[in-house]
Amino acid sequence: MSLGALAGGTARRSALSRRWARLADMINRWGFMAPAFILLAAVLAYPILYTVEISFSELDLATFQPSDWVGWDNYLGVLTDDRFWNSLKVTGIYLIFAMPLQMVLGFVIAFLINAQWRGGGVVRALFLIPMVVAPIVAGGLWRMILDPIWGISNYLLGLVGIGPLDWFGNPTLAMAAIVIIDTWRWTPFVTLIATAALLSLPKDVFEAAEIDGANWWVQLRAITLPLLAPVIAAIFVVRWLGAVKMFDIVLASTVGGPGWSTNVVNLFIYQEAFGSMRFAESAAMSVIVLIITMALTAMFLVGTRTLEKRF
Amino acid sequence: MSATALAARRRRRFADSARVYSGVAICALFLFPVLWMVLTSFKQQRDIFTSPPTLWFIPTLQTYTSYLAYSDVPSRMLNTVIVAAGSGLLSLVAGAMAGYALAHIRLRGAATIGTLILMSRGVPPIALAVPLFLVARKLDLTDRHITLILAYCTFLIPYVMWLTRGFFLSLPRELEEAATIDGCSRFGAFFRIIVPISLPSLISTFIFCVILAWEELLFALVLTSRNAVTIPVAVAGIAGDTVTGTNWGALCAVGTITVVPLVVFALLVQKWLIAGLADGATKG
Amino acid sequence: MIANDAFAKLWQTVLVPEFNKHYPHIKVTIDGVPYAQQLTKTLLDLTGANPSYDAICTDDPWTPQLADAGTLLDVRKDAAAWTDPAFDWNDFYKAPLAASEWKGVQYGVPIRSNMLLMFYNRRHYRKAGLADPTPQLTWAQFMAQAPKLVQDLNGDGKINAWAIDTYFARDQLTPTIWQAILNASGGKLLDGENKAAFNTKVGVDTLQTFVDLLKYAPPGAKSHIFNEELQAFRQNQLANMFMWGSVFRGVAIDPKTTTLKEEDVGIQVMPVGSKSAGTHRGIWCGVVSKRTKYPAAAWRFVQWISSKEGERFASSNIGSFPARRSTITGTPSSPWLKPVFAALGQAYEVAEAGQMWRPRLAKSDAVQQVLADEVALATSGDHTPQEALKRAADRIDRMRLK
Repeated sequence: MSLGALAGGTARRSALSRRWARLADMINRWGFMAPAFILLAAVLAYPILYTVEISFSELDLATFQPSDWVGWDNYLGVLTDDRFWNSLKVTGIYLIFAMPLQMVLGFVIAFLINAQWRGGGVVRALFLIPMVVAPIVAGGLWRMILDPIWGISNYLLGLVGIGPLDWFGNPTLAMAAIVIIDTWRWTPFVTLIATAALLSLPKDVFEAAEIDGANWWVQLRAITLPLLAPVIAAIFVVRWLGAVKMFDIVLASTVGGPGWSTNVVNLFIYQEAFGSMRFAESAAMSVIVLIITMALTAMFLVGTRTLEKRF
Repeated sequence: MSATALAARRRRRFADSARVYSGVAICALFLFPVLWMVLTSFKQQRDIFTSPPTLWFIPTLQTYTSYLAYSDVPSRMLNTVIVAAGSGLLSLVAGAMAGYALAHIRLRGAATIGTLILMSRGVPPIALAVPLFLVARKLDLTDRHITLILAYCTFLIPYVMWLTRGFFLSLPRELEEAATIDGCSRFGAFFRIIVPISLPSLISTFIFCVILAWEELLFALVLTSRNAVTIPVAVAGIAGDTVTGTNWGALCAVGTITVVPLVVFALLVQKWLIAGLADGATKG
Repeated sequence: MIANDAFAKLWQTVLVPEFNKHYPHIKVTIDGVPYAQQLTKTLLDLTGANPSYDAICTDDPWTPQLADAGTLLDVRKDAAAWTDPAFDWNDFYKAPLAASEWKGVQYGVPIRSNMLLMFYNRRHYRKAGLADPTPQLTWAQFMAQAPKLVQDLNGDGKINAWAIDTYFARDQLTPTIWQAILNASGGKLLDGENKAAFNTKVGVDTLQTFVDLLKYAPPGAKSHIFNEELQAFRQNQLANMFMWGSVFRGVAIDPKTTTLKEEDVGIQVMPVGSKSAGTHRGIWCGVVSKRTKYPAAAWRFVQWISSKEGERFASSNIGSFPARRSTITGTPSSPWLKPVFAALGQAYEVAEAGQMWRPRLAKSDAVQQVLADEVALATSGDHTPQEALKRAADRIDRMRLK
């Protein structure tokens, strides 16, 4: 029994107890939010403040504390660094190709295997594996498979007369390789949720549509897509927040190359911090990336709301 | 039943199986690299990079027997299980409660906080690693399981919140109201009625948390050094071997070993997994 | 002690027990960290109030950063009392010892030495009808022979062997290959005031030579670093590779990892430019934390590894290379070490004369990353060597290094 219920139960009519009851109810309500909020505030608040602080300072490596306040210097330095702009561009290209590909492929596969049959459960469970393989292993594995000299993929392509393709030496192909690896890893996530969503669609609506003579295209456009709109939006936002942070696959497969052609922004920040010990600059970049991500996420959320209301 | 209806049903059944077969074929394509990983784990290092690639090699268990015993994989595996399960559970409890608050309790400002928490996932993880270490050092908490568990909550809680909010929205409101009338407090209603009903969805969320915590590398690298080192750190060590070159056999062996427990886990609970996610995602 | 994950375990299981035979009361625990995170982790640990590590294994360019952060003990002065009277400082080659020196203070000793060397495969030279290379081989000769070494070894009509592979991708070690060519031709990275000194004709020409190597390298070489060249060489696909000497065992001796035999593989310094042969220094140094509670024990361990006895034990049992003249010129425990030691000894001398190491600065890694960024744009063909070097020089000068 909580304080709120007790206080409400006594129900005396004095102003004092009413205020007390309201307070108790407030505590009770916020009690649900509190554990998550306190945990996140405790673990996340200091690191974020620290990041913002050193992004305006010079970092003293002897203490890892900010030493001199340098104002916007780090930001100016970062914003005039063509490597940073390049990494933002590369991240954009990767997202533009990878996100739709994963969404569409995930839903198509979900649609294909969405039927009652024996073994369906096993296939769905096995289909999770790409997501479980550690990113470093995944990157290395694909590097092994795609390598122009000893990779199995070029060997197989060669048998049908294609290639040899220099997957990691050609900027376009290298980006394609990154998109392929990332799609391989994360399509199962989309499929999984999409399968669940398709299973939960009301069957009677489709039967009624069929009796009315609606073909599959009309059904898809008029029933399936509107019903799935919230799911599509939800998966998109979750996947988007994951994809923005992707860097381990690139690290393990192309190391950002050839040249700078696959140097995604999180890999760049990581290398500036751990490879060059430029923690202040990488903090400034992190803040910029955070702001961009927040703005885009907010846009997607607003879009989701409108989408949900429209259907 | 008319002949046309029968024909239509037959046609539909044929279309269904064609659809499933092509789906399975695509899945098989996705699983090919996994197969290659398992095959490679049984190769000697010099057989891995033959050109053309070979299927004819003398399989060896050597990578498994010699390498794994030698490089602390069992103890690191145990650490990984502790950290993944611990952070999964903690984020599940805290995140689900918050998700419930967002879905069913009217709170001024809660939606804003919820959105902010979701957006906090946009911070590049690299930015958090060093300051988290500094805090842990000040509290004398480096190289402990609890430190990693708390660190992982930073990305797991927003995720749990987002998914469970959807699950709870899909529950009929009457359930909870009935519970309150029966004399349950809000907490009582949540733990005695809402949680049991949503157990499948909560378990599925838990599995996704475990997968994410299982493969996390960056925080583990920075925050641990000896006692709490997890498998991904071992993997990074093998991949970045600057003395003898990456031992791909070992890498694939560790890769295979880390996949097995999670796949078994997923197979055991996959019924719940599908059911659980369906509810949450549709209302996400 | 904190050390590179790649050899930490081996040290713990082989080196430490041997050390404990002599000093049973000193307990040594070595934690391995993947190379890419090692400097950050070391700095984070040493700058704390109670560092966990007493001794540190640091890579060649890190001593200035660690010393400037005030974390290291002056082992020559402050640890003199705990130094064995028989410990012969003058026996070290100058180049490896200088790796742990900074601003006139000796902070450590070389405990796992390595040099960038040229490996060659005799089978390929024989097949191409060429004589084996010698340490006198010049860059002009190397480039003239290279086309002949891109060949079809098994006669099936397809090219399956290439002249060279090395680091070409955007990696901090890629510029060291170019630097080895630059230094061999008398060029320098930085001048006395730490301004960029490489944006010259020699710089451009040598970077062009480096980029030209790609013509004779296997497909995909643009994205190759350490692992890929190593694999290709072990698979008998390369006539030459520029690589760290320490891989010799895995390349020529160990049948589990290589298809080659000891008699196939030659090792020597990199080709001769207008001034000297080329190489690049990569020394793991043992240093001692300034804040440790056990400086004597920590120094004892580090000192033992670099002693004559420790070097001999390490080179024959765990394959790490010595830095002492007496060990290099003495009789090695295994015959295969003989040519390796000869190449190492010459590389030490060459490196000392031509200052063939990464910039000695607290911001060494940042400079190295600039070079890695820009050299990678030259190897990928996005920029000409002229453009790449100009950009690199501008960026380095803007860093205003002290």
